[in-house]
Amino acid sequence: MNRVKRRVLQEAVTENLDTIRGLPPRAVRPVRRAFRIWMARAPLIVLALTMGGSAYMLARGEQPLPPVPMKILRQAGLPIFRAADARQETERVAATAFPLAVRRVVLDAGHGGSDPGATAPQLLEKEITFDIGQRLRARLERDGFEVVATRDGDRTIALKERARLANESRSDIFVSIHVNALLAHTNARGIETYYLGATSDPKLTQLAAAENRVSGYSMADMRALLDGVYADARRDESHQLAQAVQEKLYTSLRKADPGLENWGVKRAPFVVLVATDMPAVLAEVGCISNEREAAMLRTPEYRQKIADALYEGIRGYAKKGSENHG
Amino acid sequence: MDEVLHVGIDLGTSRSAISASNGERFVVDSFVGWPLDMVARKVLKRDVLIGHEAVANRTMLDLHRPLERGLLKEGSDKDVQAVRELLLHLLRLVGVNGTIDASNVRAVVVVPAAALRTNKQYLRNAMKGIVDSLLIVSEPFAVAYGLDALLHTMIVDIGAGTTDFCVMKGRYPTEEDQRTLTVAGDSIDTQLLKLVQERYQQANVTVYMVREWKEKHSYVGHTRDRIVVKAPVRGVPTDLDITAELKTACESILPPVIETMLDLLSRVEPEFQERVRNNIILSGGGGLIRGLPEALETALRSVGGGKVRFMKDPVFIGSDGGLALAADAPEGDWEKLTA
Repeated sequence: MNRVKRRVLQEAVTENLDTIRGLPPRAVRPVRRAFRIWMARAPLIVLALTMGGSAYMLARGEQPLPPVPMKILRQAGLPIFRAADARQETERVAATAFPLAVRRVVLDAGHGGSDPGATAPQLLEKEITFDIGQRLRARLERDGFEVVATRDGDRTIALKERARLANESRSDIFVSIHVNALLAHTNARGIETYYLGATSDPKLTQLAAAENRVSGYSMADMRALLDGVYADARRDESHQLAQAVQEKLYTSLRKADPGLENWGVKRAPFVVLVATDMPAVLAEVGCISNEREAAMLRTPEYRQKIADALYEGIRGYAKKGSENHG
Repeated sequence: MDEVLHVGIDLGTSRSAISASNGERFVVDSFVGWPLDMVARKVLKRDVLIGHEAVANRTMLDLHRPLERGLLKEGSDKDVQAVRELLLHLLRLVGVNGTIDASNVRAVVVVPAAALRTNKQYLRNAMKGIVDSLLIVSEPFAVAYGLDALLHTMIVDIGAGTTDFCVMKGRYPTEEDQRTLTVAGDSIDTQLLKLVQERYQQANVTVYMVREWKEKHSYVGHTRDRIVVKAPVRGVPTDLDITAELKTACESILPPVIETMLDLLSRVEPEFQERVRNNIILSGGGGLIRGLPEALETALRSVGGGKVRFMKDPVFIGSDGGLALAADAPEGDWEKLTA
């Protein structure tokens, strides 16, 4: 076996052993590894800077500044890094540790243009999602949210482009609207909401919550600060948003169709969820392959019901965030 | 100790294959179905049906395709059970738990890249207890390993649920080396079904029928042959010409596939780009689309040209790669890779 083969095989084995041990995916590890290396070296760097600074001040005949009491640092809301932390595994910081507010929402009406999405007689997914998106937009804007739409008509827009639009808009959340088609199960009809994420083990860091309570940043602003921990925070926030949306969709639409099933909140690697930087969910708001539901999806009343439910879900999520973070 | 059996299992969205060190190779459709009620159970005389048999009897079954869209749906016990049934079935086919004990099996399970990225832990839990030692890797990686194409190569694996791209740089692929599109075989089926239904409104056509037609006749570019298939129109078997519809459906995947291929190529270190461009390997069932390598090569001309190779045995390319990995992994590692 050659050297390259031996190396990649060993890496594949290590990756699997990490999974067995419950370590996070490789995608986030380089950041953590770099952070750990930095933290391990931090005491030396701090020591060198302190000695250099002291030598400089002594040379200028000045007294070194008195040490800043820990209490002041805490009051200032600054995170405190201790040398002892350097040897510890980087703690995940939940987004709920920061005061967040949802101001700007990206609405992504699935498919469009040459891509009709799922179809039924005289019914195209791209038309349903666009119509619901427009209705939702009106409701959100009435309530003071800023809305960024990934498509403004019947146009083909690549998923990558949608993600780019969303990321460049520095929005706080991303909501993609789709309609399911289960061609092998035409009797089935239900609601499901997806978010991105590997197996997560959320641990809220109370200390971080206390330290950052007054930061006043929106989720988009905070993103720039969170960097390495953001991937985990985004997953948790996406999960909460997905739960809020799913709950409102199911409870509201079930009134119109008592046979509707709750297929729950699920994780999935849809491109728009992977490539967007903000908490992102993809709601499958109905099942076009089911005749009864397709008939309802043709009516403006039912589409408005869906838009209203999505609005309630988004608003509930935003409101909960504001309440949690004061 | 009894003799060890190494196996590579390619758990695909559409088909799953197994290659074993005893020379056995099998492929089944990735469908698992359970009889819907007592009557169905009596008729079928089985508690679970797998593969083609499950598809053929789907009206009597709760039918599951566990890796639909390239991932294992979390929270769905039935999909987890379906994965387990598929694996057990494939292992039985090569003699495990018949003449070979499961404790002597060293298995490499090959899954779509998207599933590995998001479902890693979940997949591992789902496969717990089936064999003693288990390594899970992504499809493009297994393909590259099996072909010994680990350096300056791009694998474009067009499956049913996803199209996976992976640039091999002599290391285990990281996030930046890979891309996944949900545009793949299934999206061609959906398009084709829609187009055929639009043109032949009286025809009774299902997604299973169009899938069969696609697998037999798919093409991009030009063809001299007319593609004619049979489907019932008002109950009467009728010839339908689907030449144009098939072309449109197959070509619908070209723009995103080309865009992603070129984007990933542009991110390769400049000095290696030409080598990667000349080492693009097309695998998966989508590789069987006639004219596809040529279409990709045409697109590569805009960035200086390149060569796209198509693997003639796409059915077993993943499981063979898995088997190669299983055979090469040291016994010491297998002891740690308990499932």
